[in-house]
Amino acid sequence: MSKLVVKSLTRRFGGLVAVDNLDFELGNGEIVGIIGPNGAGKTTLINLISGICMPTSGSILFDDKDITLTPAHIRSRMGIGRTFQLIHPLENLSLIENIMTGFLFSQGENKKKARLRAEDLCALMNLTDTGREISQLNILEMKKMEIAHALATGPSILFLDEVMAGLNSDETKEIIKIAKKIASSHNMAIGVVEHVMGVIKELTERVIVLDSGKLIAKGVYEEVSKDPKVITAYLGGAA
Amino acid sequence: MIKYWKYILIAIILLLGVLFPFYAGAYQQSIARTVLIYLVLAISWDMLLRSGQLSFGMAGLFGIGSYASVLLLLRLGASPMLSILGAGLVAFVVAALLGILVLRLRAMYFAITTLAIGEIFRIIIRNWSSFTGGPEGAILPNIIFDGDPVLSYWLVLGLALLAIVLSVIFQKTRIYFALTAIRNNEVVAKSSGINIFKYLVIVFAITSALQGMAGGVFAQTYGFVTPESSFSADYILLPIAMALLGGIYGTLGPIIGTVLLGVLAEYLKLYIPYGHLIVYGIIIICIIMFMPQGIVGVVRSKIIRREVG
Repeated sequence: MSKLVVKSLTRRFGGLVAVDNLDFELGNGEIVGIIGPNGAGKTTLINLISGICMPTSGSILFDDKDITLTPAHIRSRMGIGRTFQLIHPLENLSLIENIMTGFLFSQGENKKKARLRAEDLCALMNLTDTGREISQLNILEMKKMEIAHALATGPSILFLDEVMAGLNSDETKEIIKIAKKIASSHNMAIGVVEHVMGVIKELTERVIVLDSGKLIAKGVYEEVSKDPKVITAYLGGAA
Repeated sequence: MIKYWKYILIAIILLLGVLFPFYAGAYQQSIARTVLIYLVLAISWDMLLRSGQLSFGMAGLFGIGSYASVLLLLRLGASPMLSILGAGLVAFVVAALLGILVLRLRAMYFAITTLAIGEIFRIIIRNWSSFTGGPEGAILPNIIFDGDPVLSYWLVLGLALLAIVLSVIFQKTRIYFALTAIRNNEVVAKSSGINIFKYLVIVFAITSALQGMAGGVFAQTYGFVTPESSFSADYILLPIAMALLGGIYGTLGPIIGTVLLGVLAEYLKLYIPYGHLIVYGIIIICIIMFMPQGIVGVVRSKIIRREVG
């Protein structure tokens, strides 16, 4: 049984079709890469699944329930977690308080329990000095906080939207290690949007490739990366 | 150790506040009552602002509360105390219904709508003479506690303490996380599982109830309402100036700002009766330009700088 089923999903922004009649499934505990050139509709797909924007047509099923019109905060409570490509930390809350919000509101914990669980999560992510203000964090710590914030909502599927962007290779390796640890320990399904192909190769079991909102290829990374349609999409029509 | 001193300090201030009528004159007491009414407005305005929503509805809800309490007493024979609670309830319901309609709006659209509430009710009240007394207003047969200044002062102080306690609760519980998250980034707040609309409607209704009760207390202690005085723009401009001066997004800032500006306001009214609003306007502009964090913010950043440096 699929954890998440997306059926002929379409989202238009005026004349632009950001996601075009897309079908996509995510199984329990599966790690899937979502790749494609800039503007392919990857982030819009995540926004649609997490409820940040609503589809023009099509449907989304989660655990066999139709959630197409379910508000975002309910989806978060149901177990759909995500990170944001452009990190927007809650700048008036400290590091630990940012992470606590997920436990407090998505999982309905009380403040004391939320703080304890957020501290545990920070320890797991190797985040220290958790009382710090957001302005004192470096980019790696911000990315880790972003992942921890998503994990704190208690997701059974998690979308990582370009969490590696801006990190060096050592930092990327650390995040990959963390992602693998999470996936195996929680049997969590993960959708990874990434431009760093090494990460996709390392982390995912299969990939889907989007271009102009359409699904143009799917399968194991090694095969998909040789697909002429994919190469054309990445290098432009002339190639 | 610091915490220990903090509580002693709070206890001393509270005691001085409660015993104020026994060591201050009648004039000082009347100033204190006015300042405490403004304190309720300034704190309640700030409580909603913590979610990022700017309200100009204080005068409207104050006026609605004033009229509600007077009319409950005159038309339904409610006791003065009950009519004050009734004023809070009416303001709560009006704000909740309006909030459900308009809290999908943000920023200036919401602010303008809140400004309109007061105007709509003021015009209705002005023209519905048979029920409200029309442009001349309405007079109570008796003022609350038969005008006993000590009891009246304690009533106002009690409402101010209620506002302070609610504000502290807002800062110490999960409400703090919800409001701060909504203010910082609504998309992230939603993704954290926060029901933004629910929080905004509830907070708008609670803070409006405080403003309505402030109107009710004011009307019952002064014994009259008029469309112009009860819906005065003073109740918008002054609390905002007070909260900004002291520092927004907290309980202490509005308290400090209200006490400073409230006392200053009384003296300004004495010396420039028709020009004091201009002085407030200038104060607001100066604070925004030179001290956007307010007094509390400036002191806090000085302390942090000393700790870091």
